[in-house]
Amino acid sequence: MKQSLVLVGAMLALMAGAFGQAPGAAQPAAAPAKPITDVDLKSVETPKPEARAKGDADGSLTGTAADVAVADAKKGLTIADLVNQAGQNKIAINFVWTLVTGYLVMFMQLGFALLETGLARAKNANHTMMMNIAVYGIGMLAYWMIGFSLQMGGVGAIANLGGTPPLSAEHAFTLFGKPFGVFGQNGFFLMHNGTNDVAVMVLFLFQMVFMDTAATIPTGAAVERWKFSAFAISSFVFAAFIYPLYANWAWGGGWLSNLGANFGMGKGYVDFAGSGVVHAVGGLSALAIAMVLGPRIGKFTRQGKPQALLAHDLVLVITGCLILAFGWFGFNPGSTLGASTSGNLRIGAIAVNTMLASAGGMMSAMLYMWMVYGKPDASMTGNGFLAGLVAITAPCAFVNPVGAVIIGLIAGVLVCVSVAFIERVMKIDDPVGAVSVHGVCGIWGVISVGLLADGRSNFGGAWNGVNGSVTGLFYGDAGQLVAQLIGVSTLIGAVFSASLVLYLAVDLFVGQRTSVKSEMEGLDLPEMGALAYPEFDLASRGVEV
Amino acid sequence: MILIGIGVVVLGFVISLLSLGMASTVNGRLVMVLLGLAVSLFGIIGVINRAFLKNPIWKR
Repeated sequence: MKQSLVLVGAMLALMAGAFGQAPGAAQPAAAPAKPITDVDLKSVETPKPEARAKGDADGSLTGTAADVAVADAKKGLTIADLVNQAGQNKIAINFVWTLVTGYLVMFMQLGFALLETGLARAKNANHTMMMNIAVYGIGMLAYWMIGFSLQMGGVGAIANLGGTPPLSAEHAFTLFGKPFGVFGQNGFFLMHNGTNDVAVMVLFLFQMVFMDTAATIPTGAAVERWKFSAFAISSFVFAAFIYPLYANWAWGGGWLSNLGANFGMGKGYVDFAGSGVVHAVGGLSALAIAMVLGPRIGKFTRQGKPQALLAHDLVLVITGCLILAFGWFGFNPGSTLGASTSGNLRIGAIAVNTMLASAGGMMSAMLYMWMVYGKPDASMTGNGFLAGLVAITAPCAFVNPVGAVIIGLIAGVLVCVSVAFIERVMKIDDPVGAVSVHGVCGIWGVISVGLLADGRSNFGGAWNGVNGSVTGLFYGDAGQLVAQLIGVSTLIGAVFSASLVLYLAVDLFVGQRTSVKSEMEGLDLPEMGALAYPEFDLASRGVEV
Repeated sequence: MILIGIGVVVLGFVISLLSLGMASTVNGRLVMVLLGLAVSLFGIIGVINRAFLKNPIWKR
């Protein structure tokens, strides 16, 4: 017994040592914090000019107190100067983060161009590339003139960017006793009502490249048969009105984002980086234009059986997919709009979730095609890769890594099944699978937030003005799922319908489809006046080059 | 027929929207939203697409 007591005593002593001081142990009294004063700052040494003149090989002389801007040279460095510098540094970090990730998203335009062109036939390569560069310019000008204002003109202050006070006018009406924001009113031409503002410019660049991603998606479904003039008009209206309105409802302070605050439905409609706002909007618009245009000549037999119209360059297709995946590291982590604010350190988790979902999508699509059709089809593997990325775009900030992989795995199978359904049952010709990748998997991404958001994210303690973290059905909040489904219903009911009306109207006045002769010849010469590959094409026609 | 289909698709959206005012419980809203989605999907697949397939290019 005595030996046991000694042993227990020794163990307690060891545990006390292992876990540090036991609670209640006497602690040395902490010295009261001494506030820094301007006088203290006078004693901070800065590098001597003669030392700096010799060069700073090890970097120890660059970036010191001498680089802090002082408001009054006579007073020298003050606490106020330091505080201002800290604030400026925070906003500068967020500006740089948002801009650089925006540049990455812009680079995705190349990915789309290569992907779509590779999946088209060689005789349409110039036309397809032209649509992908033209939509950038056309869409940007429409968005600058009108779209940005409708989308973000009433978003209010965005703290990560130092506040965007000029964007403060949201048009709303009252329904069911609650305000329903429908469009913003400030920011036309980036000059209206004080919007020529540094923070607004950063926001514009980032939002513009997102809009451009959505605007380029319909070109994939319409490839090889869309009249260029009709494409230009349609893209302008899409960028000026259709995309911005839904984006306002979800991101610009509109009614969908306030479903939580106004109707107690979770944290309102949540779409972190745009599975719905960007991809489903683009994908449903792609469905509308594919319906209006009809299938390419030769796509279906007289009995309605689909035929393969072979892609002309799978190297371009896979290169495009990989470029898009690279750009997605701007798309998703960049949507924090900053790297230096509460919650923004989740950028690492967001990036990892993004890549895990892409791997899940690629693997499941590849295995599905392998098992069902006997070969791991390259274009569908690429589409599965993109499907995982599209699906994780909305939930990337709110799910854990296991959830991200599940979302990607489901998206990869979903895109394969959807492509077959749209082609064989609906008899719609979508040469690149845009409707399935962006529309169907975008909708899946929106729904997955309502299922798999784990309630562990913390972006300043609230989302869409509702305290707490975004939590899905499987983690206890069924209301979040309903909010997401209302967003999906809005995408299908409002965005698809508006797109269809737009494309039918342009078809009525301009005509959406090229002539049969142009289509048979390939659109490069009749629509663009130049072949993409003149040597190959002319040589195949027996012309010496 | 296409215009009727667009009407059906929009009707589905309206049903979902009405769930905000007509139902006060999560379950009630969920049922209405799912109904709205079903109506919209029927409008796209069953009405609009069928209208476009009445005279498809491969039969001309």
